[in-house]
Amino acid sequence: AMDPVEHAVRLIYKGLRPPRMRLRSLVPELPSPMTAFFLVLASYFLVVSGIIYDVIVEPPGIGSRQDPVTGAIRPVVFLPGRVNGQYIIEGLSSGFMFVLGGMGIVALDLATHKGWSKNVRMSFGLGGIAAVVIAYAMSVLFIRIKIPAYLH
Amino acid sequence: MERSSSKAGNGQASKISASPDDDQGIFRRAKRSIDDLITQARRFRLKTKQQELLIRVSALLLIYVLAFATRLFSVLRYESVIHEFDPYFNYRTTLYLTQKGFYEFWNWFDYESWYPLGRIIGGTLYPGLMVTAALLYWTLRLLSFAVHIRDVCVLTAPFFASNTAMVGYFFGKELKDPGTGLVAAAFLAICPGYISRSVAGSYDNEGVAIFALLLTFYLFVKAVNTGSLAWAVASAFAYFYMVSAWGGYIFIINLLPIYVLVLLVTGRYSLRLYVAYNTLYVLGMLLAMQIRFVGFQHVQSGEHMAAMGVFFLMQVFYLVNWVKSMVEPKLFQAFLKIAVIVTGGAGALALGVGMATGYISPWTGRFYSLLDPTYAKDHIPIIASVSEHQPTAWSSFMFDYHLLLFLFPAGLFFCFRRPTDATIFIMIYGLTSLYFAGVMVRLILVATPAVCLIGAIAVSSTLKNVCGLLREKPVGKVPERQGKDKSKGGSDQSIPFQREACIVVLAGALYLLTSYALHCTWVTSEAYSSPSIVLAARQSNGDRVIFDDFREAYFWLQHNTPPDAKVMSWWDYGYQITAMGNRTVIVDNNTWNNTHIATVGRAMSSYEDEAYEIMRSLDVDYVLVVFGGVTGYSSDDINKFLWMVRIGGGVFPVIKESDYLNNGEYRIDAAAAPKMLECLMYKLCYYRFGEVSTEYGKPPGWDRARGTVIGKKDFELEYLDEAFTTSNWIVRIYKLKPPANRK
Repeated sequence: AMDPVEHAVRLIYKGLRPPRMRLRSLVPELPSPMTAFFLVLASYFLVVSGIIYDVIVEPPGIGSRQDPVTGAIRPVVFLPGRVNGQYIIEGLSSGFMFVLGGMGIVALDLATHKGWSKNVRMSFGLGGIAAVVIAYAMSVLFIRIKIPAYLH
Repeated sequence: MERSSSKAGNGQASKISASPDDDQGIFRRAKRSIDDLITQARRFRLKTKQQELLIRVSALLLIYVLAFATRLFSVLRYESVIHEFDPYFNYRTTLYLTQKGFYEFWNWFDYESWYPLGRIIGGTLYPGLMVTAALLYWTLRLLSFAVHIRDVCVLTAPFFASNTAMVGYFFGKELKDPGTGLVAAAFLAICPGYISRSVAGSYDNEGVAIFALLLTFYLFVKAVNTGSLAWAVASAFAYFYMVSAWGGYIFIINLLPIYVLVLLVTGRYSLRLYVAYNTLYVLGMLLAMQIRFVGFQHVQSGEHMAAMGVFFLMQVFYLVNWVKSMVEPKLFQAFLKIAVIVTGGAGALALGVGMATGYISPWTGRFYSLLDPTYAKDHIPIIASVSEHQPTAWSSFMFDYHLLLFLFPAGLFFCFRRPTDATIFIMIYGLTSLYFAGVMVRLILVATPAVCLIGAIAVSSTLKNVCGLLREKPVGKVPERQGKDKSKGGSDQSIPFQREACIVVLAGALYLLTSYALHCTWVTSEAYSSPSIVLAARQSNGDRVIFDDFREAYFWLQHNTPPDAKVMSWWDYGYQITAMGNRTVIVDNNTWNNTHIATVGRAMSSYEDEAYEIMRSLDVDYVLVVFGGVTGYSSDDINKFLWMVRIGGGVFPVIKESDYLNNGEYRIDAAAAPKMLECLMYKLCYYRFGEVSTEYGKPPGWDRARGTVIGKKDFELEYLDEAFTTSNWIVRIYKLKPPANRK
């Protein structure tokens, strides 16, 4: 005696035909090392910008205070007073500086690569030096704004 | 055997032939004797290899001394004293161990804390730190140095920090080359992320645990690289030391399976990996079970199951590979299908049965909050209240790492370009630990060795390439290209002003590394060297003023209260009261019993009469509060009050947080909520404060920490008497009055 559901299913499948498809194996192929590197770099940027702090503490994107003289609301970019606190935008911009500096060092090293043409190597070298200088100067400036007593 | 080239040999000047006694003759004789000396000295000149060894050894010696010396700021400024809260418990237990011996130590039941519950100390601590310090103490005593155990405890952490820098050198050498090792050791020696928890006086588990962590990782990577059983056994013993030292060993036992999985997936499996992981896992697990606090967690706790799963997976994997090499492909496909189904099924079944019967416990809150950072905020207020457990902002990263933040992505790039087993390991370690460091500030410590090593790879590679470019001989004439070769973009491949550009880059590297050293020293001196048992502040004329109120209060307790007096305070101060005041406390920093802490929290936030009932039921004699209104000290009990309410309210619904809030804020001025002005904490902190003038130009009762005048100034205490207030009003002690029918 057949179970009624089985009866119904058999009836349905009498009319249906499986489509002709070429299914590939489900095992994903590994990404190339450079793809993995860019993914890792993106996650590094997010972590170092303090995204977990942003998700848990939920600070505003940018702070504000009232100008005592005019009464207008002025934006405050850097959260003052504590080392372990931030607004979202200051975190992201600092994270960007760190990644820029890192990529500058990479560019500097690529400039020493023997096989490439002169122009490519020169542009890598100059770009690398510029990136490192800008990134380091900005990072030190940021930390000086945040912690007024820095290096005194 | 090295001989220094700077010393002259046994100066045997050769005889100069007789020459006429005029000026020229004297000059000639002098010149010849100098030439002879130089020839003698040349005999002692080192070969290049020996020179390199000399430079390396002297650099390592300097790094060793530097790592120790930079951590001594607080000892030089104040005295050799134990800092913070947790180290006082560790000091007390080490003292007990050295005085009473191992047998008493393992069997110690402490009735002086968590009154009336007590605490089984022998079975609830990680003994590695105490045993290490005790062994150092006994060794020094054996060599007839009459040191005090407190000094040994204070200096244990810097000693192990120097050792960590040495292990960093060997690890760097394993990753790439000795130059990388030297840079890594130098970075590790002064990195503020590590210094913060290993400064002299910070006698805490992490000081020893980071050494054990890096040693375990180094020995494991060495075992994977060489495939030798000896290195694998050594890494198992290093893992045992780590388990005995710190609860953070969970990180190792979860990182190694992830590493093994990555190697299996990328096709880098080999017999070396098999030997290394299996030896470490089995031997390490058996050794870890010798620590009573850990017990059988390696087979029972959910946090350790990843390692076991990978262990079994590895056996299956290698079995399948072995069969593959023996059997023809078609049969192997069928075997593979069956093997995968059987393994998957058996694993799922075992895990399901284990979790359903409760044999395998789920992840504990402390570690679960690492995977889901929002968990602690909503569910476990005790974990959320600790300031070290807050997530990390960018400025904490910059503060603790400085230049290494730039070098980390560059180092990752070099690792990705030429991956080896060792560099894959350091990358996984660095990325996972950096993510966890983003979740909790205190875990920046665990990420520091990886960040230093990867940064060292970047520095070393870049400097090597740049120096190689600097050294190459300039090409005089462009060599004629023969045949049909066309060179791309110009026949001269070197950049114009190459040497100058290299020198600029080297000068820039020198500047950056110097600024890193300056930053690290400044941070160590200003931020991480405060003993926190002694507070310092700068007056308006620049003089330093020292507040020693904590020790004043604890010694008052020791000398002016009966020996069996019980003191109630918030749990932060428990260890210090027991260690220095030598009195029984109700709750302390171990925070193992949430209900007990909630009872204290409820007492602090209730009205005075309700609180008196609770305190009588706990048999309390004295209450201790910390108050920062006179000095402006901001880590006092009023600022911690919200946690007392939340933790108390989490267990006793009679405490509602909304009763204490005004418009969502905790306030203590005139706009404060009425229950806030009547609760025990407010009364104990602000008793008699309304008459005190704290700042010039402000009314009496001006709270400097909150920046307002307090709401209620004139009130009396009904059930307590003020027993002692320290000279700067930081610690206040009150005595409970006996009940009305006992006076």
